[in-house]
Amino acid sequence: MDRGRAVLAAVALAAALALPSAAGPFWTGLVTQMYIFGLLALSVDLLLGHAGLFSLTHASFFAVSAYTVAILQVRYAVPTALAAPAGILAGTLLALLFGLAVRTRGVYFILITIAFGYVVWGVAHRWSSFTGGDNGVTNVPFPALGAAAITSHTQYYYLVLAAVIVCGLGYRVFMRSPFGLGLRGIKASESRMQSLGFRTSAHLYAAFVLSGALASFAGVLYVYYNKFVNPVAASFPVSVEAALMAIVGGTGTIIGPFLGAAVVLGLRNWVSSFFELHAAVMGAVFIATVLWAPQGLVGIAGRLRARFGKAKERTP
Amino acid sequence: MSNTALEVGALAKVFGGLAAVDGVSLKVAAGERRVLIGPNGAGKTTLFHCITGTLKPTSGQVTLFGRDVTRLAEYSRTALGMGRTFQITNVFPDLTLGENLALAIVGTDRRKWVLHRPMQAYADVRRQALESLERVGLAGRADQPAKLVSYGERRQLELALALNTRPKVLFLDEPCAGLSPAERQRISQMIGELPRDITLLMIEHDMDVALGLADRVTVLHQGRVILEGSPDEVRANAQVRDVYFGHA
Repeated sequence: MDRGRAVLAAVALAAALALPSAAGPFWTGLVTQMYIFGLLALSVDLLLGHAGLFSLTHASFFAVSAYTVAILQVRYAVPTALAAPAGILAGTLLALLFGLAVRTRGVYFILITIAFGYVVWGVAHRWSSFTGGDNGVTNVPFPALGAAAITSHTQYYYLVLAAVIVCGLGYRVFMRSPFGLGLRGIKASESRMQSLGFRTSAHLYAAFVLSGALASFAGVLYVYYNKFVNPVAASFPVSVEAALMAIVGGTGTIIGPFLGAAVVLGLRNWVSSFFELHAAVMGAVFIATVLWAPQGLVGIAGRLRARFGKAKERTP
Repeated sequence: MSNTALEVGALAKVFGGLAAVDGVSLKVAAGERRVLIGPNGAGKTTLFHCITGTLKPTSGQVTLFGRDVTRLAEYSRTALGMGRTFQITNVFPDLTLGENLALAIVGTDRRKWVLHRPMQAYADVRRQALESLERVGLAGRADQPAKLVSYGERRQLELALALNTRPKVLFLDEPCAGLSPAERQRISQMIGELPRDITLLMIEHDMDVALGLADRVTVLHQGRVILEGSPDEVRANAQVRDVYFGHA
């Protein structure tokens, strides 16, 4: 079982490394986006899949971080070594504020995060002297660290791939840590966690800030890929899509949000090439997921494996 | 440290117009085993909730080893030595029995904030969890999810969770509720074997279990204490019989 998993990971890594030379610039660009939005979906799932909190404001951290990097690099010619950390810092500071939403639960938490998201979108949209309004901030360069500079989308693809692998490995440790286990305990029974001595609101607040920091990191990767940022990055649909990516792929896992991002972005790219109402197709996919595969693609894979495994046991 | 483990002063809890707990005062000595009895709706569980901090009392004080804890949150009271079980089984169904206990073990220390090391790296936590499962009769079950074990076994897990918060005062809310006679006997034996330095407060309907374990018994009726005494006194008391069996 574990060997099978290792083989699968090696094949996936080899495919990811070979992609730019094998598939060309179109696919390289699309898969880069899948990595970046998969990371955003992973940050949403940190709260959704582990702590049971459904946040619809993660586009805020993503966009604030992207805007910070863009404005610093383009207007003030700040180098990447300072601009990128500043972006993560700005998004994380916002998460420290928005994290106060963990005082609420359930539908109230969802509503408050929607409202927060609209505030950020409104600022990006209307404060045009600073944010550039609808046009946003354009001409963001590739990242450069001193003499080491990214000069092509292929190079950037490898940088994002490395970042995703590091984040995935770190996330794996986090999931198994006492803190991560505590989040799963809160999702299962908050009252029991309190009687065991956990200050559950503080636990959830810390998770919210961590999740916001990860979304901010995705925002940094996004703005260097996209070369510009406008209010669309902060908009409600981005938050919703990030959550849906996690759900389609499978919540509470690491690979799930990335699979979900691949499905959502891949399907949209394909369907929109021949069908104008592509958003309706996406809606149908989400409805089908919730109705028939609430555990997402990871859940489907698990069910298939269970069936296949049983069949193998029966035939000696 | 005073000799009194727990003191409850004129505690009341009002829901809307109903006084579920109506001016209850209790004093439990360190090491004592106190059982609360009373008919359904007497306010026993509400009193427990107010003492452990699950609910905020409308008025009154709760003092733990001489320290006023009335305004403290539940997790702080746990840190000061209150542990509890719930009347309605409250464990983590999606986690394994071992993970359930690991949470109970780190809940009262700083390791609960660690996020750079896997829980399994803490060998002492694993060892303590396995020992604890063995003690409550769940040896060899550490890797099973709690949702797959029987109801009786979940009650045993419930007890193990409470014991791993290092309680000085342990609150057991009907630990035998819904169990078969054999399971009932097993749980009450486990409770009887607890070290005497743990002060025990227990709600129990089963008179044999209750009166067998108790040093002293407090009888609640309609939110008030109607009697406090030794098991024999309670057994002989006409008013208690009245409350339990109705008027002749």
